[in-house]
Amino acid sequence: MPYEWRKTDSTAPDYSGADLHPLGAAGTGRADAPLADLHLWTYRSLPKQGFVIFIGVTAVMISIPLLAIVGTVALWGILPFAGAALAGVWIALQRSYRDGSVHEQLRLWDDLITLTRHDPNRPDRHWEANPHWVQVSMWVKDGPVPHYLTLKGGGREVEIGAFLSEDERRRLQGELITRLHANR
Amino acid sequence: MADAAVHGHAHYDQRGFFTRWFMSTNHKDIGILYLFVSGVVGFIAVCFTIYMRLELMEPGVQYMCGEGARLIADASATCTPNGHLWNVLITYHGVLMMFFVVIPALFGGFGNYLMPLQIGAPDMAFPRMNNLSFWMFVAGTSLGVASMLAPGGNGQMGAGVGWVFYPPLSTNEAGISMDLAIFAVHLSGASSILGAINMITTFLNMRAPGMTLHKVPLFSWSIFVTAWMILLALPVLAGAITMLLTDRNFGTTFFDPSGGGDPVLYQHIFWFFGHPEVYIIIIPGFGIISHVIATFSKKPIFGYLPMVYAMVAIGALGFVVWAHHMYTVGLSLTQQSYFLMATMVIAVPTGIKIFSWIATMWGGSVEFKTPMLWAFGFLFLFTVGGVTGIILAQAGIDRAYHDTYYVVAHFHYVMSLGTVFAIFAGIYFYMPKFSGKMLPEWAGKIHFWAMFIGSNLTFFPQHFLGRQGMPRRYIDYPEAFAYWNYVSSLGAFLSFASFLFFIVVLFYTLIFVKRTAPANPWNEWADTLEWTLPSPPPEHTFEQLPKQSDWDKGHVR
Repeated sequence: MPYEWRKTDSTAPDYSGADLHPLGAAGTGRADAPLADLHLWTYRSLPKQGFVIFIGVTAVMISIPLLAIVGTVALWGILPFAGAALAGVWIALQRSYRDGSVHEQLRLWDDLITLTRHDPNRPDRHWEANPHWVQVSMWVKDGPVPHYLTLKGGGREVEIGAFLSEDERRRLQGELITRLHANR
Repeated sequence: MADAAVHGHAHYDQRGFFTRWFMSTNHKDIGILYLFVSGVVGFIAVCFTIYMRLELMEPGVQYMCGEGARLIADASATCTPNGHLWNVLITYHGVLMMFFVVIPALFGGFGNYLMPLQIGAPDMAFPRMNNLSFWMFVAGTSLGVASMLAPGGNGQMGAGVGWVFYPPLSTNEAGISMDLAIFAVHLSGASSILGAINMITTFLNMRAPGMTLHKVPLFSWSIFVTAWMILLALPVLAGAITMLLTDRNFGTTFFDPSGGGDPVLYQHIFWFFGHPEVYIIIIPGFGIISHVIATFSKKPIFGYLPMVYAMVAIGALGFVVWAHHMYTVGLSLTQQSYFLMATMVIAVPTGIKIFSWIATMWGGSVEFKTPMLWAFGFLFLFTVGGVTGIILAQAGIDRAYHDTYYVVAHFHYVMSLGTVFAIFAGIYFYMPKFSGKMLPEWAGKIHFWAMFIGSNLTFFPQHFLGRQGMPRRYIDYPEAFAYWNYVSSLGAFLSFASFLFFIVVLFYTLIFVKRTAPANPWNEWADTLEWTLPSPPPEHTFEQLPKQSDWDKGHVR
């Protein structure tokens, strides 16, 4: 489920998905809760728990030869290489999480719609417009991806959810239109 | 904000030849490169064996003479046996095959090309590191060849210490050849570890939505298990040969008793890497064979989950049986009993795999296309090698068989024949996917039968030689062993002829045959994601997440 309409109670915004870079209300200056709060993120197949299990099993297995040579000077010949391998796979998996940490957040008020995109290694990008005039378009074939979903308003046309799967974008299109129309 | 890019049209391949093949970060291109380079190195290593079999064909030394190596025997000229040349050939045959042919072909070649496709990933997790792995492998290969030509022991070229690099032989070998060989293995190890980290990350974090670990195709699983084993085993080897290097050059005494070291310790450390290494070599073969057998039996693979966990179990057990290579170094009775029992346990998951393959064929509509023939050959040869493995696992029996040709026959049946047959099954099976061209069936069948008969003729008689007590790694032998050595050499020449025939067929196909292969040239039981792509696949694949219906067929379980 790489996108989610979050609860919009002004009291308790729920950002329990810990690695999802909640963007907060920064950038808009709006204190009131939005009517709709949509989060989109990229799919990653390794849950955090899986990372822990993998590193744990790797550490146990790699310590078998080390245990066999504890007490010999050869331990110091092997230890650096074993440690480097473990550190290497740890760093690689973390790097892979970070490379995939693309996150978009769309928020909708009566008179304002904002979209913020967070990419690794570059500043966040923002878009805002008056929701009354916003057009939701779907480019079935002509886009860089099939069923390319865009929002047009405030003088710009921006993409949303280009990293989702095709089915998700089609579903999202309907949901976006419904929400926008409900406020007109 | 990401502005919409509606009219940014689909990119097409604009790379020139040099950019595409020498600077590639594309997993498919790197896979092909791995296959080609390992093929070239394999040819060199095979030529060594042919020269060795030529020498062993008759008792006495006719070719590897101190007066100069000959290709044609000359009874009129004197010939002083040149044992160093022989030792160099067995050493580099082992080093090249173990480090620079089989792992790069199966893990680097097929793994790179197919694993991301099977899990629906657009590329490897770290494409540039993938390029680095490949070129480190090439650099390692070059160092290996350079080592062969550099000044070594006995005032000749090359190091003749055996691929295991046992001290004190390796620490006493003169010249720089041994050091270059150690660097070659270092580079190859670093390349494999980087490749393994890349594969692990890709497999764990880039599977398509819905593809849980219990739904991943068996070949991808086999690559993951292999990558994990490389990650655990190769650092140990790197440490061991680094200590050899310092023993040789910096006066340390890790393995030198005169300074408090222990040469047997090297053997323990080496085989802690070495035994997983042989499973690293064979497990990707298991993956390929599973797909081939399921496809040509027109049935889903029998017992998918037991197949997966059998591979995991073989991988895990591979780390706790190393000393069965060293029964004769003076292990205690308790140690020998443990390693005997632990080794026997490996027969259980291996049996699960063999019987599951047979059960897959049972009641299936078996079609003897070329890849299936190779898979059949694999099943037969691997089982023969496995059975002799059980025999060699007995510490008592190993007293008689240790370092005889029985061991040579055993490990060539599992590794040379098992793995090479798996590689050829993979080449014939995936050739249409890689190139869009079908290898001719008739040629594939001739290749198979020549190779099957030839390789059995080569290695089966070596069981007899081993039982007669012929030791391995010698240039010459007494008259008593002449008969089966002659037969074995004939088999080697037949296998070599079939290999040359294959090379001709391969290049004929690549150069002259048109690209006509459909996306899936086999049948609907070849149901993994790579068969949904055109043959050959475009430069970029699965930039879009694949739909679950593309790969999650109802019949898979």
